[in-house]
Amino acid sequence: MRCHVAAVLGLALLATPAASRAQEAATPVPASSAEASPKRVRDSCLDCHRRLEDPRLSGPTKKFDVDIHFVRGLGCSGCHGGNPADPEMTAMDPDKGFRGKPERAQIAELCASCHANAAYMKHYNPRPYIFSMDEFRTSVHCKKISEGDLKVATCTNCHGVHGILPPRDPASPVYPKNVAATCSHCHNAEYMKGRTVPTNQYSLWVGSVHGKALLEKGDLSAPACNDCHGNHGAVPPKVRDVTLVCGTCHGREAELFENSPVKKAMEDQGKRACVTCHGNHGVQHPTDDMLLSGRLGVCGQCHKPGSPGERASETIIARFRGLLGRISDGDSLLALAERRGMETGVGRAAWREAQDHVINVRAAIHSFDFAQISTVLADGEKTADAGLGHARTALRDWRTRRVGMALSLGVILVLIGLLALRVRRLDAGASPSA
Amino acid sequence: MKFAFRTWLAERLSLEPLLHLAQKKEVPVHRHTFWYYWGGMTLFLFGVQVATGILLLLYYRASADEAYESVRFIMTQVEFGWLIRSIHSWSANLMIGAAMIHMFSVFLLKAYRAPREVTWLTGIALLGLSFTFGFSGYLLPWNQLAFFATKVGADITGDLPLVGGFLRKFLLGGDQITGGTLTRFFGIHVAILPALATALVGLHVYLVQAHGMSVPPSVESGGAPVRRMKFVPNFVLRDAIGWLAALGMLALLAALFPWELGVKADPYAPAPPGIRPEWYFGWMFQTLRMLPSRILGIEGELVGILAIGAGATVWVIAPFLDDRQGRGARARFWTVAGVFAIVYIVAFTLMVYMGGHR
Repeated sequence: MRCHVAAVLGLALLATPAASRAQEAATPVPASSAEASPKRVRDSCLDCHRRLEDPRLSGPTKKFDVDIHFVRGLGCSGCHGGNPADPEMTAMDPDKGFRGKPERAQIAELCASCHANAAYMKHYNPRPYIFSMDEFRTSVHCKKISEGDLKVATCTNCHGVHGILPPRDPASPVYPKNVAATCSHCHNAEYMKGRTVPTNQYSLWVGSVHGKALLEKGDLSAPACNDCHGNHGAVPPKVRDVTLVCGTCHGREAELFENSPVKKAMEDQGKRACVTCHGNHGVQHPTDDMLLSGRLGVCGQCHKPGSPGERASETIIARFRGLLGRISDGDSLLALAERRGMETGVGRAAWREAQDHVINVRAAIHSFDFAQISTVLADGEKTADAGLGHARTALRDWRTRRVGMALSLGVILVLIGLLALRVRRLDAGASPSA
Repeated sequence: MKFAFRTWLAERLSLEPLLHLAQKKEVPVHRHTFWYYWGGMTLFLFGVQVATGILLLLYYRASADEAYESVRFIMTQVEFGWLIRSIHSWSANLMIGAAMIHMFSVFLLKAYRAPREVTWLTGIALLGLSFTFGFSGYLLPWNQLAFFATKVGADITGDLPLVGGFLRKFLLGGDQITGGTLTRFFGIHVAILPALATALVGLHVYLVQAHGMSVPPSVESGGAPVRRMKFVPNFVLRDAIGWLAALGMLALLAALFPWELGVKADPYAPAPPGIRPEWYFGWMFQTLRMLPSRILGIEGELVGILAIGAGATVWVIAPFLDDRQGRGARARFWTVAGVFAIVYIVAFTLMVYMGGHR
């Protein structure tokens, strides 16, 4: 089904004289280098509209000077048509290509006339983002619009209009840190009234490990809405796609899960893979408490007491906690040895390696394969024991050194005593000469 | 049998003059005799340095890639390697401490008076060599603290007028501290300095024997004849008691406070906090740190370096400026100057460790 309306994300309204011609011919015509150059001529649209009292007509000029299109030399006529060189009202003559305010259903096509044109966009960026109408048509937004639902987002709803900033600008509504807030302008309880779409995503995400990483730590690689749902082709992930979505970042865990027997079992029960244990929008930093026995942990929520799965998870959990305990003991003993001035470089290296094994075990749990997890656990236990062994050896050496020091000091004191006696006898035998 | 061997050995090695000297040599006994032991103590600790240094050489590898690992190997894998390295490091510090006590006691007791000026000069040169031993040896474990402390030291050297730039480049073997610097410091530490030190120690000890122990002017002016004791065995046995005590102290320090290895040097890492030189350079470091950036239009650090250099020069030639008899106003002035120098060095060294700065 052909869609006529706007997109969610993507640089919109980068309109040029090419866009005008594109309106007449269904496909956009690439602008020549000269047309795409940022050279600016006097623009009668701006000259007149700035002076108009009606805010609906003068408003678009207020922030247009920061708009990326204007900055790159494109004027009002790029999207609205007309003749900006004509200072009279005839500039808005439909016969001269003026088309006024585009219908919402036309906005995506209008933006696409330039943004989907790689040859044209290369005049502005040697590695341009190329908008795809085909991708946009896969989105829920596009589908809804095509069904006549105009309360759905189009390009301008996410990117703004007449003041569009490039996505890398921190003030842009599609800058990574602003994306979730932008989505929440529509995805909230009030706007979505009457729809079946959940509306608590934003508040959940803000408190999630992803939200905190992006908003509080400023980690721009942390995912916002678009990283999981897509941007111009935004859809909720289906049951089978969840692992794929999470796996774009959590590759090792996703690969292990893909090959695990649990994957199919979950699919058969309609459970949504990763989301079943970790949640989705409100996903928290996974803790080892997730492996707590019974209903307290996540395993026990599905594996009934006494079942093979429950018994296997109990065994793994016990060994995993044992590994953590050994690593913790190793750290304490190494720290004690360090406070006592002992060299613990080799022990510390083993201890760090054991911590790496803990990460491996946590990842291996996603294989749901007892043998595989046991192997990784055994590697961790061996390394943790090596670290513990080094710590104990260091502390044993420390005690041995003190005993050795005490013995040697005893010998030295005896020798000093004997020498002092000898000196005394010498002094007593022959008084110093004058 | 024992007697026959001794005669056989004496005939072949011509030990008679030495034995005669040892039997004839006497040491004055007075209220300041205690200070006579510090020269022997310094010599004993130098011997410890040589012995432990040779043992460390068996395992140490002087390259940026291997130095740190080889010292760690010594500390963790070699039997008693930790003890040898800790004793080497502690003994180095005790030796410099003993040498400084020896120098100040000689200064305040005016033992540098004629004809012992050259003995004083060789002693000062030996102290300078000890500092250079310490500076070059500090870098050898190639750890982070040593790396940056050496950088600070080299930068201060580079601030010297006229020759600073050349000296810095000569010292580092380039513009930066690299593996080449480590090799250079190693060569200086284990070949050049020991050769110079051995020659100077020989000359210094010879001069001490040639001129005998100096009696302080305050004791000389007492009028009463100065009592004396035999060098062998009375003084040597007392010396041995001190050496044994020093050995016990080294065992105690090595066992209770093993010398740290730290983390491996990374030239690209930021300088760790708390960078400071070895304690015996502390007073100079603190002096330079407290100076304003400019003094009378000249860079403050340069003024500091020149002032310290001038002070050190005056200190070195003090025997030629002081009263030959060690009496009178001029002698008292130099005594006060010596006390001032001690108070200054102790106070500024303590300030480094008490966090004092501008």
